[in-house]
Amino acid sequence: MEDAVRALDLTKTYGTGPSAVKALDHVTLTIARGTVAALLGPSGSGKSTLIKALGFVSPADTGEVFFGGRLVVKDGVPLADLAALRRRHLGFVFQKANLTSFLTARENVEIACEFGGKSDGRKRARELLEYLDVAGRERSYPEMLSGGEQQRVAIARALANEPSLILADEPTAALDSVRSRSVMELFRKVAHDRGAAVLVVTHDHRALDVFDVLYEMEDGQIRAHQQERPAPPAAR
Amino acid sequence: MNLALRDVRRHVARFVGTAAGLGLLLSVVVAMQGIYAGMVDDATILTRAMRADLWLVQRDTRGPFAEGSRLDPSVEARASAVPGVRTARPYTYQLIQREQRGAVMRIALVGLGWPDDPGRSLPLVRGRRLQQPHGEMIVDASLGLGIGESLALGGEQYRVVGLTKNALTSGGDSVAFVSVADAELIAFDQPAEAAVLERQRVVARLRGTDLGRGQPTLEDLVTDARWRAPALASPPVAAVLVEADPHRIAEVREVMRSWGDVSVYSQDEEEALLLGGVVQRARMQIGLFTVILTLTAAVIIMMVMYNLTLEKTHDLAVLKLMGAPRTRLLGLILQQAWLLGALAYAVAFAMGELAFPMFPRRVLITETISLVAPVATMGIVTLASILGLTHVMRIDPSVALEG
Ligand SMILES: Nc1ncnc2c1ncn2[C@@H]1O[C@H](COP(=O)(O)OP(=O)(O)OP(=O)(O)O)[C@@H](O)[C@H]1O
Ligand SMILES: [Mg+2]
Repeated sequence: MEDAVRALDLTKTYGTGPSAVKALDHVTLTIARGTVAALLGPSGSGKSTLIKALGFVSPADTGEVFFGGRLVVKDGVPLADLAALRRRHLGFVFQKANLTSFLTARENVEIACEFGGKSDGRKRARELLEYLDVAGRERSYPEMLSGGEQQRVAIARALANEPSLILADEPTAALDSVRSRSVMELFRKVAHDRGAAVLVVTHDHRALDVFDVLYEMEDGQIRAHQQERPAPPAAR
Repeated sequence: MNLALRDVRRHVARFVGTAAGLGLLLSVVVAMQGIYAGMVDDATILTRAMRADLWLVQRDTRGPFAEGSRLDPSVEARASAVPGVRTARPYTYQLIQREQRGAVMRIALVGLGWPDDPGRSLPLVRGRRLQQPHGEMIVDASLGLGIGESLALGGEQYRVVGLTKNALTSGGDSVAFVSVADAELIAFDQPAEAAVLERQRVVARLRGTDLGRGQPTLEDLVTDARWRAPALASPPVAAVLVEADPHRIAEVREVMRSWGDVSVYSQDEEEALLLGGVVQRARMQIGLFTVILTLTAAVIIMMVMYNLTLEKTHDLAVLKLMGAPRTRLLGLILQQAWLLGALAYAVAFAMGELAFPMFPRRVLITETISLVAPVATMGIVTLASILGLTHVMRIDPSVALEG
């Protein structure tokens, strides 16, 4: 299976001198397409920092990030148009207040399609909302949606451009365990149906069986790496 | 998908309310300019409608509008005799204030040189010019008199035969036109009380002289109400207006310039004197107000745009995280600024249409004003969105991840 993203020896330090925090300490990891991976670890272990580095939001200080086999960030210096990369090939889902508040559910997905250069945005947005079972709420604004519905719309948006990598930072923190599990299962479905690589930061240990791979972080390092089960055959 | 409109859609009332407020502010700026333009236009009617090539006024004065001017009436005959002069006619100008039906009425009274000028070039909106040298007047409609109505001035009745529109002095007083002879009658009219007092004074002086003591019958003569002391000279006029052959104006002017008792001004110079003396200060005042108001509007728009951007910080961070092209986000702010400007202008325009005609002074929206106002509005809102735009540039997309 093709690698969606590969990080080599990422290091990131916040602050200087005695108060400096090493948020990433020589992190190396690879996520293949069609895989749904969990990123676990105590608070402050550097999970969000890693997500930001992999998502080209705030680059690491040193190390390399390959995307689809291409070197795009080296030692904190972008070698490609990162915003363009984000809008075409990446999807983000995060804890809460994920959606653009002045756009309806459908428009939230549609605008992502538009940014990604898709011409049939509206139709595609409808299909995605249907796929995620929130088609009935397409005209609702985010504030009128329940937490679970919001997360499903956010996932639909993340899927808008058939991304090769979806990054989710505690997407279920605001949900009860039943809903939380159904969101996790959605990620799995997306990875397996659509061949995306999905990396989910989570504290919820009850749904870990959903994931193909588990990474455990501590003090900025990846401590454990557990292959839950063999990666499924390529979805396409 | 237009993000600007979709964002506005979420709080239409607030957006329109803000635009309405700005529109009112804008309409004040436009009104100030319009009032100034109206003032200039009204004031220059006094010179424009006279169609004179040259204005002769008292030597070394800037009369008759900016200051008083007294010219011996003989100048008229002297001017007529200059080769190249077609007509020379007297002109008087004085401000009078009378009570009419309990209301104070201020009138700028212009004396037209009868019979050369019965109001030939006055922009009459109703009625006709003067047809008799006495007892008829043309007044500005702002005085509130209708055709056929009479006005009592100096013990005589003057019938309104014609109406002008927007013939006002720079002070906003309505202008009335009568013949020079009538103007003088009105000007030199004395109230009965003053006439009695003057007669008593004359009698007292007479009694103090040998002549008075020797000829007591003289006393009867000066106390007779019908008696008027023989004038030493006919009363002065304010100016003499000269029309000359077009190609000889310079020559005529040269001749008159050598006369010791007059100053000669061309039509344009007279207009400049009128505006310079009286309107200049108003112009500076209004200019200053306009600058202050424009700056106020700009600062308010800037703060409004900045606040509109600030409250969208999270949404903009989310869009940035999704990789929104920078132009889309800057466009969102700019388009909202333009929409705000356009709405504000529309409100100002509507205000102008509805309210300006009710202003006590005429608000003249010249072509320049109606061209500059929208362009300036859009320029200001564009400049004023700079704070908001820099904020957009600075938003860190990772803010979105923090939730
Ligand atoms: N912007 C920042 N400035 C300074 N220090 C930071 C910043 N962001 C994170 N840190 C520090 O870096 C370390 C890793 O933070 P990070 O947010 O990646 O942890 P996390 O694993 O996501 O924690 P949590 O589970 O609480 O979200 C922490 O010690 C944190 O205090
Ligand atoms: Mg975190």
